[in-house]
Amino acid sequence: MSGSIHVGLAALGAAIGVGLIGMGAASAVGRNPGAATPILVQAILAIAFAEAIVFYALFLVPK
Amino acid sequence: MVHRYFRQLPLLLSLLGLLIFGGFASNLRAQAAVAPDPGTVAEKHETIPLKATPIFTIGKFTVTNSMLVTWIVAAGIIVFAQTATRKIKQVPTGAQNFWEWLVEGLYNFLESVIGSHLVKKTFWFFSTIFIFILFLNWFGLIPGVGTIGWGHHDPVTNAFRVDRPLLRGGNADLNLTFAMAATFFMLWIVWALQENGVGGFIVHLFGPKGDSKGILKILMIIVFFMVGWLEIVSILFRPISLSFRLYGNVYAGENMLEAMAHLVPALSWLIPIPFYFMELLVGIVQALVFMLLTAVFTLLIAHHEPVQSAQQ
Repeated sequence: MSGSIHVGLAALGAAIGVGLIGMGAASAVGRNPGAATPILVQAILAIAFAEAIVFYALFLVPK
Repeated sequence: MVHRYFRQLPLLLSLLGLLIFGGFASNLRAQAAVAPDPGTVAEKHETIPLKATPIFTIGKFTVTNSMLVTWIVAAGIIVFAQTATRKIKQVPTGAQNFWEWLVEGLYNFLESVIGSHLVKKTFWFFSTIFIFILFLNWFGLIPGVGTIGWGHHDPVTNAFRVDRPLLRGGNADLNLTFAMAATFFMLWIVWALQENGVGGFIVHLFGPKGDSKGILKILMIIVFFMVGWLEIVSILFRPISLSFRLYGNVYAGENMLEAMAHLVPALSWLIPIPFYFMELLVGIVQALVFMLLTAVFTLLIAHHEPVQSAQQ
């Protein structure tokens, strides 16, 4: 097996972050189903920012 | 207590399997990235090249397979929309009903996100982006995309290998996603200047937020002036992260489907099927994410009061 440690670490961190955001969003919708749309927006924004880290690690770090 | 662990065993096993699959996939990718030598790559499992392959040239203008798919999808959407709305009926049926449902749903959703003033001005862009990305992503999943093309006969496995596919998912090419992100960036500047004016735009970036008095006020002005520069860096990074996010997701999806199809040769018809469903989901989620992110970026620069859209 071969690979890049920085991509692996970035993917690990981003996955944990996305999971935490999803957990928060799901429990928030569970508490207040009426606020589903604003929560979805916040969650997708936050997930996108967490996820972007992987792409920085994948493409922008010189090999 | 024991049977509780047994109940979690399938989960653990599937997690382990995912880890191993992921290891394979990243392994293949890393090798393809490090060793672009065509001789060695052909012997390994197939991975899709990072760039779209050119299929023909008109003069100096190279047409790649991703461009071809982009044009096909764009033309398809235009023709579909035109024929659906040729004879507008009071009570819509069929295709007209579909478009009305799609556009109206998008309009109401965007209105709840960015407010009724902005949505009137910017709806054309966000809805176009969403519909275009969605259809491009889903078109890339049709069997035949990436598997029909020019290739060679592989003597080792006695199978035909496609080297230059005729079609390739449009968003699996960084050029298209970056073009869309750059277009949004231009429009974002235009909308920001229209909403705030030049002075308001600069105040929005560098001006202090919140109300503080006296010496704290002066301190806040200095702090927010510095924060403004950070803000500018993050704004300048937006087109890059927007384009890489879409490209990375779609490209990785295609690569994963390819890896799954070649994992066990005898089961290559079965293993990719769940991943195709996942890619359908990824396609719509990424279209939604691109639209929502661009919409929220516009909202962030254009709204003046403390956030009021969150109350709807």
